[in-house]
Amino acid sequence: MINDIISPENSTVSLAIFITLITLFLYQFSMKIQQKWQFIWLNPMLITILFLVPFLLYQNITYSQYHQSSQLFTLLLEPAIVALGFPLYQQLHQIRYHWQGIIGVLSLGVLVVLCVSFSMTMFYIYQPSLAIALSLKSVTTPIGIALSEQFSADSSITAFSIIIAGFIGGILGPKWLDLLGIHCAKSQGLAIGAASHVIGTAILAKDKPEHCAYSSLALIFSALLTAILSPLIIPLLLKAFN
Amino acid sequence: MLLPKKVKVYNSSNLSNMMKNALYTLCAISVSLLLGKLTYALIPFVPASLYGMVFYCLMLHFNIISPIKVEKVNLWLVRHMGVCFVPAGVGIINHFDLIKLHGIAILIIIFVSTFTLLTVVAWCSEKIFKAQQSKGNS
Repeated sequence: MINDIISPENSTVSLAIFITLITLFLYQFSMKIQQKWQFIWLNPMLITILFLVPFLLYQNITYSQYHQSSQLFTLLLEPAIVALGFPLYQQLHQIRYHWQGIIGVLSLGVLVVLCVSFSMTMFYIYQPSLAIALSLKSVTTPIGIALSEQFSADSSITAFSIIIAGFIGGILGPKWLDLLGIHCAKSQGLAIGAASHVIGTAILAKDKPEHCAYSSLALIFSALLTAILSPLIIPLLLKAFN
Repeated sequence: MLLPKKVKVYNSSNLSNMMKNALYTLCAISVSLLLGKLTYALIPFVPASLYGMVFYCLMLHFNIISPIKVEKVNLWLVRHMGVCFVPAGVGIINHFDLIKLHGIAILIIIFVSTFTLLTVVAWCSEKIFKAQQSKGNS
């Protein structure tokens, strides 16, 4: 239908405008839905993707067409990551007292998650690019995507598994940690921030402010640590499994 | 007592202030990103945008960029940044075969590694916080 309306001469421009508008509209729409019902699993990003995928399939728009037409969002990705420096600045004074401990724990966590998910993927599926894409899933989306593109792995798998990991950790995390007997708000917040990044933090932000401060601290630092450690660890892991 | 309903007032000075702050934030972010790109050209280790994030944070910390001017626009940016990740997520279109083949295995991997990470970080950090507390008390 859309391909019929758009004439071949001006197809790229009008498709770009159309795609940009419909993505924005769907995102705003799902933000409204979430504000109305307040369900945490109604994540705007997830809803937009779930609506867009059937729509694109129905309209016979291929992914390369979509990717080309949504250049505007790709262009805005880098400034958006830079904007995350502000919450980091707000947390700086908190980390001053126990920064060594926090950085130590978080880098241990990054090492563990890289090794566990990489070796599990190699063990079950045996596809190195998939293993890289899955092992980068515990950092926040922009950085995960940037990193997996740097390793020339598939960023869409990373993006999707990042969202799933966020929901698992944010919704089940506090209950799981209570079950283990770890009730301290600081440690729970750190753990959830390290494992489920922004989505986990957003889930905590609703009724646990102390958790939330430590969680946002952990999400930023574990993203930085993953960016620093993964170029060292992933080549080693690739060698170990070859 | 009846209080008048809060009405949003958009007088001209307020609006121009908002515009100024928005422009200020955009400039600050672009400068940080540019510095990040330069650093990446010299040391290609971490993605350029991450260098930019660190520069932005440091400039805020040393008051080169005013945090008060940046605050509101930045909050808005962070709240709405999710839309920039939609194109990457839509890429799942190309991977229906992979999901049919290995979907459950991938889910299990994500599940297990997320819970391992949760347990490790929470357990270790509790040890550290407790050790520091007892140090502080003695």
